[in-house]
Amino acid sequence: MAAGAVGVGVVELPPARTSAGRQLYTIVKKDVISELRTKEMLLSMFLFAVLAMVVFHFAFTVRADTDLTYFTGGMLWVTFIFGALLGLNRSFVHEKDEGCLDGLLLCPVDRVTIFLAKMTGNLIFLLVIQALAVPIFTLFFVKTSYAADLPAFLAVLLLADVGVCAVGTLLATIAMNTKARDLLLPIVFLPLIIPVLIAATSATTGIFAQTASLGSLGAKLGFLAAYDVIFVLAAYGTYDFAIGE
Amino acid sequence: MESSQSVAAPAATADQASALQRLVSAPALLVYAAVLLAAGAILGFWYAPTDASTMGFSQKIFYFHVPVAETALLAYGVAFVAGILYLRSRDAKYDRLGVAAIRLGLLFSLLVMATGMVWGKAAWGAWWAWEPRLTTFLIACLLYAAYFVLRSSVDEEERRATYSALFAIIAFIDVPVTFVATRLMPAGLHPVVFTGQGAQMDHRDLIAFMVAMVGMTLFFVGLLRTELAAARLREELDHLKNRLGS
Repeated sequence: MAAGAVGVGVVELPPARTSAGRQLYTIVKKDVISELRTKEMLLSMFLFAVLAMVVFHFAFTVRADTDLTYFTGGMLWVTFIFGALLGLNRSFVHEKDEGCLDGLLLCPVDRVTIFLAKMTGNLIFLLVIQALAVPIFTLFFVKTSYAADLPAFLAVLLLADVGVCAVGTLLATIAMNTKARDLLLPIVFLPLIIPVLIAATSATTGIFAQTASLGSLGAKLGFLAAYDVIFVLAAYGTYDFAIGE
Repeated sequence: MESSQSVAAPAATADQASALQRLVSAPALLVYAAVLLAAGAILGFWYAPTDASTMGFSQKIFYFHVPVAETALLAYGVAFVAGILYLRSRDAKYDRLGVAAIRLGLLFSLLVMATGMVWGKAAWGAWWAWEPRLTTFLIACLLYAAYFVLRSSVDEEERRATYSALFAIIAFIDVPVTFVATRLMPAGLHPVVFTGQGAQMDHRDLIAFMVAMVGMTLFFVGLLRTELAAARLREELDHLKNRLGS
């Protein structure tokens, strides 16, 4: 109703603060659109994942009848964690080099919203890669059907990805602001992500080899969920300091 | 910084204060630590009974290995607290405290692995076993080594201190998480021999252990104070050099 009274020449401003959910959605949408324009990150992450599988095949097949079933969890997660590293490194390169980050910081947006948005963006890209790579991996390496354990497997993927993206986004932000940049990220990221690697690897191997008991799988899923809660909260609480002024 | 304050204080209180300070100065702490560590070793070897289980004499390294391990964790804890204090106050002294603590923590962690390997060789016949505690310390070493890589790749002092504080906080949270994770691994060849070690302890074992533990903690505090004093001197020297240069 007040808008009607606004005189000619006065620009009507949108509400000063949009909701955090809407801001988050906008930033994620921006990341997805800019990635879809070039697709360079998705394409290179996908090719990397397939290449890694081929490399693992040659690295571990020592005899014609070598059974790789007990290596499947490890191979899958090493592929995804290193693939995620590629994406994480890229996720801030454009922001920094094109001056987009400065623009983002100037917006009336909470720093933690930026964190959640960047994390969600990274999570989406990782999930897309996994949706493409897991069927190929299954075709190459998994001998028996794991259809019955599919919900558990999807839970492992999602819970591990959230941990990887939470820690990864925080550390990628720090790495971007240092001299070493992409050189630094693996050094700081890998030791922190080892707990996820341990739990996700053993849960995945258990599913692919059909050796996992419900109890042990539940313990690993519980551990991954706890890791996610702890590190999302830790990253959320410290992101303000990571992204800088 | 305490010494410079006490110089200006009135004579009588200054005497008392400086006497007290001498008692808890870094060299004094190191002397107490040396005495207690020697006493701990003597008690461990001659007073505490030789372990009746399979470990036998090799268990004696317990009086050195476990205090070193707990001191390493204490050092990381100090860095964690210093990190939080730095982020709250932006006071450079907490940054110095954090670096000094992590440097010592890393040193103690390497000692934990070295003594753990010696014990492993004696008790299990292998220098290295992927045992949860040993593995956790290995990962902690890698983690805190990365801390120094991070520091060296930031030039700007305040930003370096901020990132270091942040990383010290995250890393300290990760250590217990890693320990829990290593327990999820399939059990290896070696059962966890350490379980119940504390509970089964004879009171003579406990005395020797406590003496060694207090000694090791004082050793850490003494080294920490020495490090901090050296860091302050370095800073002062830089300051003087800058003034001369300008």
